[in-house]
Amino acid sequence: MSNVISEPASPAATPTRGSPPSPKRRAGQSPGRRQEGRAGLLFLSPWLLGLIGITAFPMLFSLFLSFTNYDVLSSWEFLEFVGFDNYRKIFTTDPIFWKSVRVTLTFGLIAVPLKLAASLGVALLLNKARRGVGLYRSMFYLPSLLGGSVALALVWLAMFNGDGAFNDFLALFGIEGKSWINEPDWALATLIVLSVWQFGAPMVIFLAGLKQVPTELYEAASVDGASKLRQFFHVTLPMLSPVIFFNLVLETIHGFQGFTAAFVISNGTGGPVYATKLYTLLIYDKGFTDFQMGYASALAWIFLAVIGLITVVFFSTGRFWVHYSDGEK
Amino acid sequence: MAVALPAAGLLAACGDDEPAAGAEYPTGPVTLTFYWWGGEARAKLTDDALNLYTKAHPNVTITRTWQAFTGYYDKLATISAGGNAPDIFQIDDNGLAEYASRNVTLDLSPYTKSGAIDVSKHPKSLTEYGQLKGKQVAIATGENTPAIIYDKTILTELGLALPKVGMTYEEIITWGAEVSAKKPGYWGLMDPSSDYKALWLWLRAQGKEFYSDNKIAFSEADLIAWFQLWVDARAKNAVPPADVVHEAVTGSVATQLVVTKKAAVSFMWSNQLSEMQKATKNDLAMTAYPGDPKGQWARASTYWAASRTTKNAVVVADLINFLVNNVEAGKVQGVDRGLPSNLDVRTAVSDSLTDQKMKDTVAFENEITPKFGPAPAPPPKGHSGLRNTLRDIAETVTYGKATPEAAAKQFFTQAAAALA
Repeated sequence: MSNVISEPASPAATPTRGSPPSPKRRAGQSPGRRQEGRAGLLFLSPWLLGLIGITAFPMLFSLFLSFTNYDVLSSWEFLEFVGFDNYRKIFTTDPIFWKSVRVTLTFGLIAVPLKLAASLGVALLLNKARRGVGLYRSMFYLPSLLGGSVALALVWLAMFNGDGAFNDFLALFGIEGKSWINEPDWALATLIVLSVWQFGAPMVIFLAGLKQVPTELYEAASVDGASKLRQFFHVTLPMLSPVIFFNLVLETIHGFQGFTAAFVISNGTGGPVYATKLYTLLIYDKGFTDFQMGYASALAWIFLAVIGLITVVFFSTGRFWVHYSDGEK
Repeated sequence: MAVALPAAGLLAACGDDEPAAGAEYPTGPVTLTFYWWGGEARAKLTDDALNLYTKAHPNVTITRTWQAFTGYYDKLATISAGGNAPDIFQIDDNGLAEYASRNVTLDLSPYTKSGAIDVSKHPKSLTEYGQLKGKQVAIATGENTPAIIYDKTILTELGLALPKVGMTYEEIITWGAEVSAKKPGYWGLMDPSSDYKALWLWLRAQGKEFYSDNKIAFSEADLIAWFQLWVDARAKNAVPPADVVHEAVTGSVATQLVVTKKAAVSFMWSNQLSEMQKATKNDLAMTAYPGDPKGQWARASTYWAASRTTKNAVVVADLINFLVNNVEAGKVQGVDRGLPSNLDVRTAVSDSLTDQKMKDTVAFENEITPKFGPAPAPPPKGHSGLRNTLRDIAETVTYGKATPEAAAKQFFTQAAAALA
């Protein structure tokens, strides 16, 4: 987006105008150029206002709040600056913090790889031209559209409780089920299954990626006698690695931000016994139940830092396994 | 915020915390915002009562918003934070101290003193239960009592005695084990170990308290004994397994074990009998929590509170007065928010009731009230968080993930932080 604004400085953008503008004119900017710049800004303005008003400003403000005792309800005159107190308390005296960190990491480490595997698997199946493949693609994509909806979480709640449909299904095979969402050792698993089931978005991206793999590579590989499995590991996966990388980063961030399902399924408790206390639930609890918004802001900034760190790690390890077809790394 | 400024200017004339209680009732158009939670039945009752008021005061328009309890406090916190707290809103013990001590609520003392809000016919303990540091921060909408609600139909079928007032915990747990033994897959009692009000009553029946001066007033040993009581009850099979209990704890009235027919006894509030009865065909009845009834007190089911930033304090006070003291308004509202606070209204309402379970509620309240002890102060700021802490930590014991000793220790660590 910012290209539009900076274009006047780039000579490459002007060849259609005939002779390149003299340096003098460029520095002062022609009226037409300036108008274009204004128009660009004008068209950008809704997005810019949104970015500044509802993303950048609230973010920085919450950074400020994380050093205060802000409690949502009191007026500003009661606001006190507490320095790093909130951060210190989080790491030293908050027992739930570490519990929810563990729950969130467990969730991410299991749900994200499973979801990527499922979406890649289904994308491979749907990549072939078959009758009605469009319909199948839409149907597999559908759960993703519902996203973090409350309705879906309620369905899950009804499916995985003691008298739920899932247990009726198990009963067909003579297996006696549990009250999955009410068992501390299983509640998180139901959330993971829900998340994996919503594999539509990465699947669509994988499908697009698969379309980009040149068929000559497969032809060449099969001439060389490579089996389908070998073709998958030596052609498909390397060619797909940029897409896998993209999905990995996106789904990891997405996974950490999961909230609605956990909130609805546990009825806001993060229970039983903290089993579904995702980090986002902890932030919400502190902010809106305990009215410790300053503390909640501090929690949120730690969260941001950790997600940032994980993304940096992904990017720095990416060059070892992500292959771009034009040889760039 | 800008809207509140003129009001602040007016208030400044008579000291920030002392609005003009003697001011004239306005004749020009007045618009009030009014916010409450509840089911559809309550929404209609409240709506009707408000209509009665606007009929008598045509210059007053009331903008009403109601919703289910879920999300109510989130929304209230958000709009209050934005400086637009509703002129009048429903609140309960969970939020009262939070909102009052953070100066969101209007001090109603000048109005109760001047008689603009008449509390002379209200039980004294009920009025005091809406006071914080000597200020009347809210007016009780009605009186409510914790009650155990049991399935009379199944217990009669099983040929077992019904629970009654004054049973000890040991007696009711033994009784519960008998129920479980007679009917496999069915249990005698809900496990209330994670329920703050059950714990509070249990403490008070022994002459102890939950809070004093914004601190926990009981000891770690008390809490260990409480957890152990229910561990033993589970060992005797008097209460269901943890997952069954959890489902009821986190659910609504519809998931209570008496309604889902998984246990004979649920630990509830007396005003919930009528609503629970609508969810099951079996005949439900109620009695007091186990232990000496002197542990109980006249509790406010909910309160009416006003916003400190209201521009029409006089009308607000008059409307609250109308809702709690007007006989017609009382009859419209019934006992949905507990027994009416005003004793005259209470008598009138009791005579006019048609719902059998609402009548049972009144009879129960009348029987039990004389046995009550004095009311403690309303729970301090931090209470709603602490309730959740108790719920979560008690569950670590129910699920066998922690010993009562470890859980109690954990509770006290977190309580210190929550009430600090």
